[in-house]
Amino acid sequence: MNDYIEALGYLAPELALTALAMVILVWDLLKKGRDSSHLGYATVAGMAVIAWMLLGQWDSLGDSGRHPETILGMVVIDRFGTFFKLFTVGSLAVVALYVLFDKRERKHGIGEYYFLLVGAAIGIFFMVSTNNLLLLMLGLELLSLASYSLAGFHKGDKRSAEAALKYIVFGGLSAGVMLYGISLLYGLTGTIDLNAMGTGSEGVGLAAQFATSPVPVAVAVVLVLAGFAYKVSVVPFHFWTPDVYQGAPTPVTTFLAVASKAAGFAVLLRFIGALFMVEGVQETVMAYSERIGLLLAILAAVTMTLGNLSALRQTNLKRMLAYSSIAHAGYVMIGLAAMTTQGFSAAVFYLAAYYFMNLGAFGFLLYFEGAAGSEDVASLKGLGWRYPVVSIAMVVFLISLTGLPPTVGFYGKLVLFYAGVDAGLAWLVVVAGLNSALSLFYYFRIVKSLFLAQADDKSGDGEPGLGGLIAVLSVATIVVGLFSGPLQRWSDSGTESLGLPPLEESK
Amino acid sequence: MGLGAYVAVSAALFGLGIVTIISRRNIIYILMGIEMILNAANINFVAFNRFGLTEAGSLEGKMFAVFTIILAAAEAAVALAIVLNVFHLFDSIKPSEADLLRE
Repeated sequence: MNDYIEALGYLAPELALTALAMVILVWDLLKKGRDSSHLGYATVAGMAVIAWMLLGQWDSLGDSGRHPETILGMVVIDRFGTFFKLFTVGSLAVVALYVLFDKRERKHGIGEYYFLLVGAAIGIFFMVSTNNLLLLMLGLELLSLASYSLAGFHKGDKRSAEAALKYIVFGGLSAGVMLYGISLLYGLTGTIDLNAMGTGSEGVGLAAQFATSPVPVAVAVVLVLAGFAYKVSVVPFHFWTPDVYQGAPTPVTTFLAVASKAAGFAVLLRFIGALFMVEGVQETVMAYSERIGLLLAILAAVTMTLGNLSALRQTNLKRMLAYSSIAHAGYVMIGLAAMTTQGFSAAVFYLAAYYFMNLGAFGFLLYFEGAAGSEDVASLKGLGWRYPVVSIAMVVFLISLTGLPPTVGFYGKLVLFYAGVDAGLAWLVVVAGLNSALSLFYYFRIVKSLFLAQADDKSGDGEPGLGGLIAVLSVATIVVGLFSGPLQRWSDSGTESLGLPPLEESK
Repeated sequence: MGLGAYVAVSAALFGLGIVTIISRRNIIYILMGIEMILNAANINFVAFNRFGLTEAGSLEGKMFAVFTIILAAAEAAVALAIVLNVFHLFDSIKPSEADLLRE
């Protein structure tokens, strides 16, 4: 009994999040009238409290960065998980503010909007802090089910309905395939704990199994990877992304592109780290780890190239940003393919950089939808002069997305490329460099449309609150870029808590 | 009957599920295909738990199967709600007729 009470202490952030979800649901039932913005403010306030709890947890974890025991046999408390929980809380707060600040979205912003967002966050919290495949799967599905409903949240809107339909069909399929892969992994190793699977008790770890029966192991691993690839929209499991991102309400798209994608990467990093980067495994079965590394590198190259090439052809800004987010998933994959602690840390850092620039870019999209009533790049014409602050902020985000200094995107790419070259993936870094140049073309088209054309006088007023938030994000993009040290230390410390070989003091 | 028979049945069910999803145009059949895949995984979990490498008395696989059943139910509930909304708006439950979002 005491164990349970002690365990609850470690799960305080999760419990607080669950309590918040319940409060929102009940408060929504009790309230009078249609205005539910107080629920949005409650969500934002709740996020602040949970962020404070998480920061306390971060500090309380000692030098190793993780709690020595697995809570209730399932939950792992480490800085890696805490990093991504903070990430989730941060993006959820911004998304909730987007809903609050945008008057068209606010109309739809009934209590369930916030409830589903918080529910998705609970799923993320559990999936990023476990080595147990059962809990991982449950967290993933909780996130997915909330996301499906959110994608179809504008009930009368055909596009939103279609997005939800496509999302749940592909999502259900990929979850099924992944579950089947997990069942095979369970059969091959006799455990559902990732660490036990990797190291193996009594010589039945995955590496040892691979030595005797490579085909079943390969099938199982590929099926599970397919499920993750879907979640982070890596080619060839990306095709749902543009449709769903375009059809879903813009704040929801923001949530999917930032929080949901980062959570998928967090789980993928944990999975690869536990199964393929175990000390001793590399020596026994070299081929096993190397092939996975090569597979990830090829996926990375194809993903970023296809994402950027498709983005070039888009005229719809929302769809363009969707393809751009696919390309960025490809960049993050460089860190995974490196299969080193340094590479993982670079991937984590890049995701944090991605947080600022992508939240900002989608925020601009929302602002511009409200002001111009359209999603086309062409109808941005001359709006740069009408809304200078927001437009300049957007230019900052685009510079960062391209990876040019002095923004956080530049340092993110720098550490990624550095880790890639260090791991002997120079060819992949060259591909990524070429891709960054390619992305400049379509990012520049937005800037050109904003500033180098005459406006026609059809646009309405922007939302001042939303504009302010975007400006803050753009300042953060530059400031974090100039002073990237603390963030770098955080991502290093988070990655080391995975139990990977420690980082050398290289840079 | 040994482990092999169970795994063969589950593999067949998995394959049939994939074929159903690819070949059928009706969303209800597609959802049924997904259920078949989930149940294929369930057969695996239970069979591996009984015959596989697990320690004696371990319930991990069976527990996983129970939770998968719950997951399948939850997913079906959300999916049918979405399908109902699509049917209201498009007067059809064929995914091919909901095609506003494309290049």
